[in-house]
Amino acid sequence: MMNDDCRRTAERLSSYVDNELPAGEQADVERHLNACPPCRTAATHESGARAVVREQARRLTDIALPPGLRTRCEALAREHAHASAPSVFSSRRFAPLTAVMTLVVGFLLFSLATHRSDTVLAAQLTADHAKCFRFFANSTSDADARRVERMLQNDYGWDLHVPPSSSANGVRLRGARRCLYVDGSIPHVMYDVDGHDVSLFVLDGVSRPAATLVALGHRARIWTAGRRTYVLVWPAAAGDMTVAARYVMEEAR
Amino acid sequence: MSRGREDDTAGTLAARALEFLEPLYATALRLTRNAADAEDLVQDTFVKALRFSDRFTPGTNLKAWLYTILLNTWRNRRRDAAREAVDIDSPRVEEAVSGGDGPAALDTPEQILLRATVRDDLQAALETLPEAFREAVWLRDVEEFTYAEIAGMVGIPIGTVMSRISRGRRLLYERLSPSRPHADAEGRLTR
Repeated sequence: MMNDDCRRTAERLSSYVDNELPAGEQADVERHLNACPPCRTAATHESGARAVVREQARRLTDIALPPGLRTRCEALAREHAHASAPSVFSSRRFAPLTAVMTLVVGFLLFSLATHRSDTVLAAQLTADHAKCFRFFANSTSDADARRVERMLQNDYGWDLHVPPSSSANGVRLRGARRCLYVDGSIPHVMYDVDGHDVSLFVLDGVSRPAATLVALGHRARIWTAGRRTYVLVWPAAAGDMTVAARYVMEEAR
Repeated sequence: MSRGREDDTAGTLAARALEFLEPLYATALRLTRNAADAEDLVQDTFVKALRFSDRFTPGTNLKAWLYTILLNTWRNRRRDAAREAVDIDSPRVEEAVSGGDGPAALDTPEQILLRATVRDDLQAALETLPEAFREAVWLRDVEEFTYAEIAGMVGIPIGTVMSRISRGRRLLYERLSPSRPHADAEGRLTR
């Protein structure tokens, strides 16, 4: 029979089992449990399950990280620390400066901020590049661009022209997947150029000045066309990518 | 004491956050049930932590802050994927948990404990819990967050946290108890 006492007990049951109630309330619950078998059973079950989970907690979390995840996060942290190093000009230190000085340094900070966000963008996408290619390690055959486009359209609603494989330009389409990016997800198209992993990322509704930079041992070329910004990522050691990059830049839209 | 802010610059925060990659990944795996998605989720959580490091309040629980990002990211992804939403705090679920014929009164927590010492049994039982219950029990009993921390990271009132933990544990107990009128070890139906 569920009465008010039972209801009050149910509300405090987890705290009771966790031994987190004030002494008076703990005794209160105890009293009710002694008088009410159904509540007693509930408490016994709850503390039984609690004991099992806690006893096994270490083993439940004893899971090895996938290879590369830690390395990528460490690299991201380094890149981030590096990119944000100029922030020793913290805004509080400017307070006593003259207005002119603030203006000059303000401009400096603005340009740093742009460069910084590009570097962070490149670093993040490079980390994604490394991660996604691990999932595609086994697929060696060429992917059909139209099928990839249909998949991106049907699964994620992305309307994208995917540059197809082109033997003339040494470019082979491997596939595509959805990649998490900050507050959402973006299309990640994967290519093989002369045995090197090359990624094309597409950011919708973003506009950035064209740039080529190096992050985490990879080169990232950023360009904007229409309402989209594209980022092409390849290993810095891969040598000349001019032909392949030009092909992808012309084809992507 | 006066060191507070300096201690939590992006650099040191990143270094400290790296220490939590394993538990974050274990939890991500529990949420996504898929290694690739879990890896995505952890890396994305880490990127966001770096990006929003100035929003972390020095002196508060960094692990709880990271879990908040992890859970929010997961929730947003789930919402994007427009997965089904069941109101897990509804009375219907309460019935499913407390109603029906529970395990026989002979089952003591110690007996249950013995049966569940094989990690896989517990793992499997946890898998069968509705997500919100599994999440609450996991955050409380595996990660040992406080009710208030869980309420903050999941975005629900403390009372709801406590009832989810309580129901989740009892449901888990039932799932760990074989003495229900289903089938015995040989698969024969028992009554």
